[in-house]
Parts: sequence; C-alpha cells; structure tokens
Amino acid sequence: MDLSLLSQYVVNGMMLGMMYALVAVGFTLFFGVLDVIKFSHGDVLMVGAFAGYTTYLGLEAAGIHNPVVQVVLLVVASAAFVAALGAVIAKYLVLPLSNAPALNILLATLMLGTVLRESVRLFFPDGSNPKRFPRLLPDTVIPIGNFDLRVDSLMLLITGLLVIIAINTIINRTKLGLAIRAVAQDAETARTMGINFTLIVLVTFALGSSAAAIAGVMNGLYYNEINFGMGLLLGVIGFASAIVGGLGNIYGAILGGFLFATLQTVGAVAMPFASAYKDVFAFAVIIAIMAWRPTGLIPEKTSERV
Amino acid sequence: MSTKPESGAATRAPGPALLVGLGAVVLLTCYIVAFLMSEDESVVAGLIVAAGVAVLGAYVLGLLQQLRAAYRDHERLMHAAILLGILVVAWVFREDHFTLLMLTTAMLYMTACLGLNIQLGYTGVLNFAGASFFGVGCYTAAVLGSETAIPPLLILPIGGVMAALVGSILVIPVLRTRGHYAAVVTIAFAVLFRTFLQVNDALGGPQGLSVPQMSLFGWGFNSNIEVGDFYASFYMNYYLLALLLLIGAFALTRRVERSWVGLSMDATRIDELAASCFGITPSRWKITAFMLGNFMIGVAGALLGMMISFIAPANFTFADSLIFLSIVLLGGMGSVWGIALASVIVVLLPEKLQMIQEYRFLLFSALVILVLLFRPNGLLPRGRRAYFPDWRPR
Amino acid sequence: MTALLDCKQMTRRFGGLVALDGLDLQVHGGDILGLIGPNGSGKTTFFNVLTGIYGYSGGTAAFDGQEITNLSPQAVYRAGIARTFQRSRLCLPLSIFDNVMIGNHKRLDQGLWNNIFARKRLRQEVESGFDEARELVRIFEPRLADQMFEPVANFPMIDRRRIEICRALISHPRLLLLDEPSAGMTHEETRELMDDILQVRERIGGLTIIIIEHEMGVIERVTDHCVVLNFGQKIAEGSYREVSSDRHVQEAYLGAE
Repeated sequence: MDLSLLSQYVVNGMMLGMMYALVAVGFTLFFGVLDVIKFSHGDVLMVGAFAGYTTYLGLEAAGIHNPVVQVVLLVVASAAFVAALGAVIAKYLVLPLSNAPALNILLATLMLGTVLRESVRLFFPDGSNPKRFPRLLPDTVIPIGNFDLRVDSLMLLITGLLVIIAINTIINRTKLGLAIRAVAQDAETARTMGINFTLIVLVTFALGSSAAAIAGVMNGLYYNEINFGMGLLLGVIGFASAIVGGLGNIYGAILGGFLFATLQTVGAVAMPFASAYKDVFAFAVIIAIMAWRPTGLIPEKTSERV
Repeated sequence: MSTKPESGAATRAPGPALLVGLGAVVLLTCYIVAFLMSEDESVVAGLIVAAGVAVLGAYVLGLLQQLRAAYRDHERLMHAAILLGILVVAWVFREDHFTLLMLTTAMLYMTACLGLNIQLGYTGVLNFAGASFFGVGCYTAAVLGSETAIPPLLILPIGGVMAALVGSILVIPVLRTRGHYAAVVTIAFAVLFRTFLQVNDALGGPQGLSVPQMSLFGWGFNSNIEVGDFYASFYMNYYLLALLLLIGAFALTRRVERSWVGLSMDATRIDELAASCFGITPSRWKITAFMLGNFMIGVAGALLGMMISFIAPANFTFADSLIFLSIVLLGGMGSVWGIALASVIVVLLPEKLQMIQEYRFLLFSALVILVLLFRPNGLLPRGRRAYFPDWRPR
Repeated sequence: MTALLDCKQMTRRFGGLVALDGLDLQVHGGDILGLIGPNGSGKTTFFNVLTGIYGYSGGTAAFDGQEITNLSPQAVYRAGIARTFQRSRLCLPLSIFDNVMIGNHKRLDQGLWNNIFARKRLRQEVESGFDEARELVRIFEPRLADQMFEPVANFPMIDRRRIEICRALISHPRLLLLDEPSAGMTHEETRELMDDILQVRERIGGLTIIIIEHEMGVIERVTDHCVVLNFGQKIAEGSYREVSSDRHVQEAYLGAE
C-alpha cells in the first residue's frame, strides 16, 4: 500500500478518534461525578449537530454569509443549546434517579436517547432524511509529497484537541474543576464543605454535553451530512471507548476513543475487500478486551466494604 | 411444638375472591375481543381510557386485592380460566389473518421476554442483545429450512440451541464484568451482530432471507384450515403452536423461580458476595440463566421467522433489543404476568392505534422512562415466591 | 488436643497496608473464642481471609485437619464454616424463609433438572426445610416464626440480625463466625441474643464460635478464651480477665501514657 493511501487512512482515523474521544470524555465526566452512564449522550451529539444546522439556516436567512462568522456562531449556539439540554436532562431525569439501582439510570437514559432520536425524526422538518451540512471550512489541501492533507481535517483535529485540552484544564486547573473532582470523589463530604452539589452536577452535565455538541458539529462539517440516527452508533462507540479506557479517567476516555478508531482503521485496511467488517472487528476486539480487563484498560479504583 | 403444615390439596374454600377473579378473566376476554374488533381509532382510544378508569375503580374498590387473593389461592383454576379466554379469543378471530398474526407475535415476544427475564429479572445478567439471539433463531430456521430436510418442528429447538451456542461466545466477558462494563459487552455484540448480518452475503446480506413454513407431520402451516364448513386462517396453526410454546416457557419459568435454583439466582442477583459465602457459585447460575434464556429466545425467534416467512437484518437491531428490554422493565423485572401484559401492550397497541405507528418507539421509550421514574417495580410487580401454590403452612 | 481451627502466620496485605501480620490463632472444638481489638486491628479482615473473600498474602490455615488456605468462599462454607457480616447482608426483597434457606445451600438439591421436574422431591425438601427454619427462627424470636414469608425489608435491624444468624446456623456448621452481632442492640437484646445462640449450640452440639465484639460484657460472659489483635498482630491471649488487665491491651485501646 502506498504512503499516500496510508496517510489518508491515518488522518481519517485521527479524525474519528478525536470525535470518539470527545464523546467518551463526556461519558467519563458524567460517570465520575454521579456514577451514572448517560446513554443518551450520542443522541445529544446528534441534537447538537441539528442545532448547528438550524443556526446555519437562521444565519443564512438573516443575511450573514461570512463562513468564519457562521462557523463560530454555529459552534457557540450549538454548544450553548446542548449545554442547556444536558442540564435539563440532569435535573429532571438523572438526579431524581440517582438513588435507584444503576441499571435503572442506564435504561432510562437509553430510552431518553430513543426519545431524542425519534423526536428529531418526527418533529424536525423532513427529519427522517439526511441533511446537507454546509461546507464552511476551506476546501484547500496542503500537498505533502504524494499526499493531500485536507485543511479542514487539520482544523477540526486542532479544534478537537483544543476542546479536550480546555476540558482537561477546567477539570484540573480551576476552582470549578476542583469542585467537580471533589463531588466525583465523595459527594457527601463535598456537600458538607459547602459545595453546591446540584449546581456542580448540572454544570458537569452541561460541560460534557457541549463537548458532544462540538463533536456533532465537527461531524457535520467533516462529512457534510447529518441524519437523525447518527448519534446511536457514535454513542455506543463513545461509551465503549470510555469503558475500555477505564471509566472515570479522562485520559482513559481519550485513549479509548483513539483505540477504537485505530481498530476500525486497521480493520478497514486489513480487509479492503470487506471494509464493512471493520465494525464487526472493532466491536469484537472490544468484547475481548472486556473479557481480559473487566474494568477497563485503566482500571477503576473501587472497593467494596465487606 | 407447631403442627405440621397443611399441604396437598388443602386450598381455601372458593369464596367471593374467586368470583372476582373469574369475573375479571371474563371481562378481560370480552375487552380484548372488543379491542381487537374495533376499526375506528377513536373507539380504540375510548377503550383504552375505559380500561384506565376500570383499573382505577377496581383499585379504589379494593377489587384488585380480591383479584390477587383469587390468583394466590386458586392458581390452577385461574390459569384454566385464562387459557380458556385465550382460546375463546382465537375462536372469535379464527378467520382474521391480521389479528391472529398480531396475537401470535405477541405470544412469541412474550416467550422471548420470559427468557430475557430469567437472565435479567432473576439472575441479574444484563443482556442488551435479545434481538440478536432472536435473530439467530430466525436465521437458523431460514437456513435449515431451505438447505436441509430436518423436520421443521425439530428446527425450533435447534434454533434455541444455536442461540445458546452463539451466546456462549460471550460467557467469559459476561461473567467477568459487572454493571456498566457488563452492559458494553452485550451492546457491542448487538451492534456487531447486525453489522455482520448486513455484510454477510451468505446469509442474504441486507436483503435478508426467506424462511420456509412450519409443518407438522406433513401438514403445512401456511395453508388455511378447511374442514367441511369450518374455515380458519392458516395463522391459526401458528397461533396454537405459539400458545403451546408459551405455556411451556411459562411453566418452565415458574418452576425455575419456585425452586432452590430460583433462590440461588435471586441471591446471585442481589448479593453475590454473601451468596458465595453460603456455597452459591454465581458463575454457575449466570451461565445457566444466560444459556437457558437465550435458548428460549432462539426457539421463539425460529417460529416467528417461519410465520412471517421473510427476515432481514433490519429486524434485529440494537433498538429492537431495547424493545425486548422495555417489555421486561415495563411489566416488572421478574414478573411473568407483568411481562405478559407489557408484551400485549407493546405489540397490540401500535397496530391498533395506527396513528401512533410512527410514534411507536418514541411513545414506548417515554413510557418506560415514566415507569422508571415513578413505578420502578413495573406495572405488575413481582410477588413473593410461593414454592407450591397450594402449600399453606401455619 | 489438636485444634479445630489452626491458623499459622496468617498475613494479608493491601498494597502497602499490612492488615494481618503473621497471625497465629487456634481454636479448639466446642470453644467460644472472643476476638477483640481496636478498630482497624484486622478482626474482620481475619474473617474475610478465612472465609476466602480475600486471598492470603502469607501463612496457612487448617480446619479439622484439612488445609483451607486460599480455598474459595464456597469451599470454606462446604467445609463447615459459616459467618455473619458486620454490615447486615440479607436479601431484602426476599422472605425470611428464602433468606434462611440460602444458608442451607449445601443440604439442598441444586440440580437444574431435579428442581424443574422432580417436584415431589423438591416439595419434601421445601416442607422439611421450612420446619427446620421456622424452629430455628422461633428460638430467636417467636414473632418472626409466624411471618416466615414476609420480606426481610419489612423488619427492623435487630430482627434482621437474628435472621442473619439463623441463615448461618441452618446448615449445622462446625464453626460459626459472628461479626459484631450485637451492633445496634440494647444490653437486654444482646443478652437475649447470646442466650439464644448458646441454646442453639446445645442443640446442634459441637458448635465452635469465634465472635468479634466491642461490647466487653458479652465477651466476658460468653467466651471461654480471648485473642486481642492490634495492627494485624496478636498482642494478648487468655481469658477475658487476663487480657483485660494486660498492659499492652490497655495501651492499644486507650493509648500509651
């Protein structure tokens, strides 16, 4: 296989990895703070993509055509809208169920994902058909030897990286992040220390959800297409990535995201005759990893009082 | 010293509770017949509201208590009455293809969900790939029916065995993982399985496969029943066979629950560590539940495949597995009658309310969320373990 | 006389923490041994290692001549050792009868086929199991014996502790490990509980007990022999009177001068 084709695969893989990582980071944040798997996360991503699309339509109608402005406003509007959505979900679904068995929350959020998906399909104008997401990023390429690096790939990769770094910084370097980590470690004590538990939970969910929204918009900008079902598979992959990497650990989530993308890419490369099998391959490896390391590659530190 | 507990046929004498119980069965049968007969959506909607009002009224009047007592004290009789009701409904709709098809589908879903219930409701094994194992049963029926001369009746248990075998691939990760990690395993499998079917041309690819009919001793199930003046839809064949399967699954589930095996399964689900300290081996019961449950799901799938005679990967997605799970949750984990009720609601309601066909997934997901928030034990929560219904020690 | 339970140099480490540090402990058949020591001294860890919940980092244990080092919890139970837990671990949605029968696992037929098809035999097991369970529960609290089918969740903590002890006793174990059985009880209730345990011991015959307790009154009244732990090591052994006047023991509980 020649170098340019390989490079193409690598860049695609990195894009995928970045998107998966963004989703996985959200999962891991929610889990860390509330011991909860918010399974609707993938579909929240989809809502973000649609929110971005709607913003774009609105901007076009309002006569704003500058692509840079559009992209920025798109991302901001989408992230803000979805952050609010995430907070609402946390307040009305997740928090009330926080004392129920973990299975209930998992299932409730799974169902919520379906509600979101079906709502978009049924209520968004012509929702069941894919939408053409605008080409807002520059079309140019940077030739590197035989290989053409798409500028938009580069921009998206850098953006994704920045978002992950931003989240990491917030979590590890700010007072808010300290509060989030405190709640994640020991909610009871955090409360007695004066931390507003509910507020922190809502903020965390808003934060994680906006990361997903950005991933959704990225997805739209890269593939130029969005549809109501895009969130389901992405959500499953993001979840699997967070788990494989080790729940509760941001680095694990990033690791898991890129690992999954690598598996898919390797699968596609190794079986060019049946690249559709790449997903089968990737998920099979995930199952095998779970059999080998039942609490993820970077294991969760839990202990049970006997 | 206490007296020896009453045993054997020492049941309570039939009283007003039994009358309430039998009356309820009769009422329910009539209701179902009316419900299935109505063509007009507003009539259907009206019937649903009426049902809600009736249940509320029964609750307020204390009749629900009587009903529970009737079932508890006269289980065999109540079962006989219910069976009679089911046969009456079959008779009324004997010429109606569509209704029989619907009812049979509901019964097969019920059977599959009883299998899922043994896994999740009793033993606590998370299975997000129920539709996949159902699909294994269907595809087994397709392949064996078309390519071999194996008698179709035998294909049913083989479908179950195939589902159990495929499930055994997942045994190690299922055993080693807990909670969310365990969820990933079967979710990954559900996605993997659908994709595998879709890209695999040997199994028909995205177009799917056709499934030959069920036949018994040369009697092909896909031909209508015409004996003299009597005529019945060919779906009646499937209806009766599905009923037999359901009765078998029901009896099996009951006996498992009402035994030391069921107790060990419950202990495994509730507290593995304490159970281990008393000799229970959680892995043994998880494997048993997983295999047995998948077997039941596979058998149900095989018969459904034969009945609808055409299957495709789009029938066996992760979303379909979630439907199975919703039935178990909606009805009540570990509750056989809850699952029966939920299966009927999930299958019959969208068909009857054509206007909600489109909104099917949305409505059910919303309903399950509401149940989880406000009635987490389900519509008909599981009752206490009654090892032998006519055993009343005091 | 050879000891029924013979633990030699039992060690358990959790990373850098040494919870059990070369513990030597022997119990003779029929004795009641009190295991005391300040919080965190390794008493419950000892139970957990002995019953196979934690592995051994070192040392051995033999029960009735049979090596039980590193056996699974199931195997330890089958050998005849049963226990209660510091934090009550009953199956709350299940009935009293169900919970007690969980303890009877090794005396019941667990074969799938038999449970589904040999119903007559199952019925006999259920009925005789019920009689036994009810009689056992009646010893501890007659009121409970009339509510054998009520879910355990409906009962207060004290009744739950009693039920948990019945669960441990139903299989006629040779060795019973009690982990702070009197926690949350009044003096009167504790006294009653101990009397009931002793009564059962009479009936079963040959029951050996190790009891972890913080209530010294119980230890004094009930035990033949005491072992005091601190930092995972045995610091004193003897009768209650002997160990309670031991200087090291007093220091361990109260701190040095």
